Amino acid sequence: MEGTSVMVEDPEAASAPPWKPNIIAFCCNWCAYAGADLAGVNRRQYAPEVRILRVMCSGRVSPGMILKAFTSGADGVMVLGCHPGDCHYRVGNLHAEMRVAQVRELLDLAGIDPSRLLLRWISASEGELFGRTMDEFAAHVRELGPLGGGKDAT
Amino acid sequence: MPLDPRIDQYGASKCVECGRCTYACPASQIGGDFSPRRIMEQMLLSGKVPSNKDIWLCMTCMQCTQICQFGVQFHEVVREIRPELKKLLPPEGNHGGAPEYLERLSAMPGISPRKQRWMTPDLKLDENSSTLLFVGCTPYFDVIFRYLRTDLLDIPRSSVRLLNAAGISPRLLMDERCCGHDSYWLGDQGLFERLARMNVEAVERLGIQQLVAFCPECMVTWKQLYPKVMGKLSFEVRSVAEVVAEAIEDGRMELSRTEETYAFQDPCRLGRHAGIYDAPRTMLASTGNLAEMPRSRETAACCGNSSFVNCGPQTRLWQLERTGEAEGTGASTLVTACPKCLIHMTCAMNESVQLVERRKLPLMDIHVQTASRIIGPKKNPASGNR
Repeated sequence: MEGTSVMVEDPEAASAPPWKPNIIAFCCNWCAYAGADLAGVNRRQYAPEVRILRVMCSGRVSPGMILKAFTSGADGVMVLGCHPGDCHYRVGNLHAEMRVAQVRELLDLAGIDPSRLLLRWISASEGELFGRTMDEFAAHVRELGPLGGGKDAT
Repeated sequence: MPLDPRIDQYGASKCVECGRCTYACPASQIGGDFSPRRIMEQMLLSGKVPSNKDIWLCMTCMQCTQICQFGVQFHEVVREIRPELKKLLPPEGNHGGAPEYLERLSAMPGISPRKQRWMTPDLKLDENSSTLLFVGCTPYFDVIFRYLRTDLLDIPRSSVRLLNAAGISPRLLMDERCCGHDSYWLGDQGLFERLARMNVEAVERLGIQQLVAFCPECMVTWKQLYPKVMGKLSFEVRSVAEVVAEAIEDGRMELSRTEETYAFQDPCRLGRHAGIYDAPRTMLASTGNLAEMPRSRETAACCGNSSFVNCGPQTRLWQLERTGEAEGTGASTLVTACPKCLIHMTCAMNESVQLVERRKLPLMDIHVQTASRIIGPKKNPASGNR
């Protein structure tokens, strides 16, 4: 995947490097991941902070996986799957939709801005949408600042 | 062979392998390959602690320690060997791992949880109160287990109503974190100590005199486990049930009676861990009729799961046996005092109703049950004194 190689931190960088968000994108194998491939083939540049994790279906992403990403240092998490009706496993993306709604509610209770978790449907032909989603979400997370940095409190 | 000192401190060398613990143990009866007696035997013979995934089946409900004639604290032995086991053979978390990672999330510095959205306008709180109500994880459970029960938030609400009726307007800890009970018993001492420090420091700053909790796990964690890490606390820790029972006995609270019969499921943390058996019974006996199940008080059977790990079909059988026991007493409702017991039992009940045609035994939380019978505080408490 493009986007992974730039994540290696440069040890020669300035002593206090500017803060960069850590963003995890759970991409389903059949749609969103193929969309990422298309963005790559089209040489669509997008936010380098995003790290892609391929899962077989967005419905495979459990609440614990999303929360684990946040406890392990992610500042934003995306769950990307097929459009409703297009799921390779018929209804996996609908499960993902319910779970993400639940986790957003949990994040809100825990004092974390629920907009740090994003659910989007991206098909294999939507390389441009994939790139745009990455850019927009990365900009949003940059705006929110680091997790626990004080901007989450309402 | 010298015994591992980690387990010897809990009386392991005194074990005579009589097997009473295994007979009493719910995890052994649920199935799997779990046997406290055999684990003790292996440890005594080899001097080492076993690395066996079955150790996660233990619910640390303390039946084994309660029944042991020789003072072996098997539930503590299990806790002591879990940190090492966690690295090699971690437990299988249920419910997508959400409960575990919420606990971790709430230990992150810099975030301030806002779980207090369950408040309703009729609840009386006082920001300068000397009593603090520790709410615990129930608001999270409301989100995770809404598919099972939609009334979980009634538990904190009812607790405040009960305290109000007893003449107490509690305050809440606004950035309350998880108590860390599950991390302690699942062998994550580091996380537990972090949570203990954060919670105790936040509460000590308030200068309160007593902390009350409706969740037996939170209560016992504050009462017995935090002092181990943080030293003696500057305030008293009590369960809501104790406060309410005291108010009923002093005649400070007026309750209406019903002819319903209730069976009471003693939560392990309230009963065997904290030794509180009478307070919930006072609450039930003054609002209805109490029917004792054959296994109650010290010998109460566990609700079937602890800390949301390693739940399975065998657990259901155990839970249904327990609800069957409650039905056998002629009780119309099974009442418990722990949100987790309520969740586990409801889960088993709902599932069995789907599988086999079966009457659904209503399950209820004791705080909700008693709060629904509040008439009000006694107008003249002095005259009501016994």
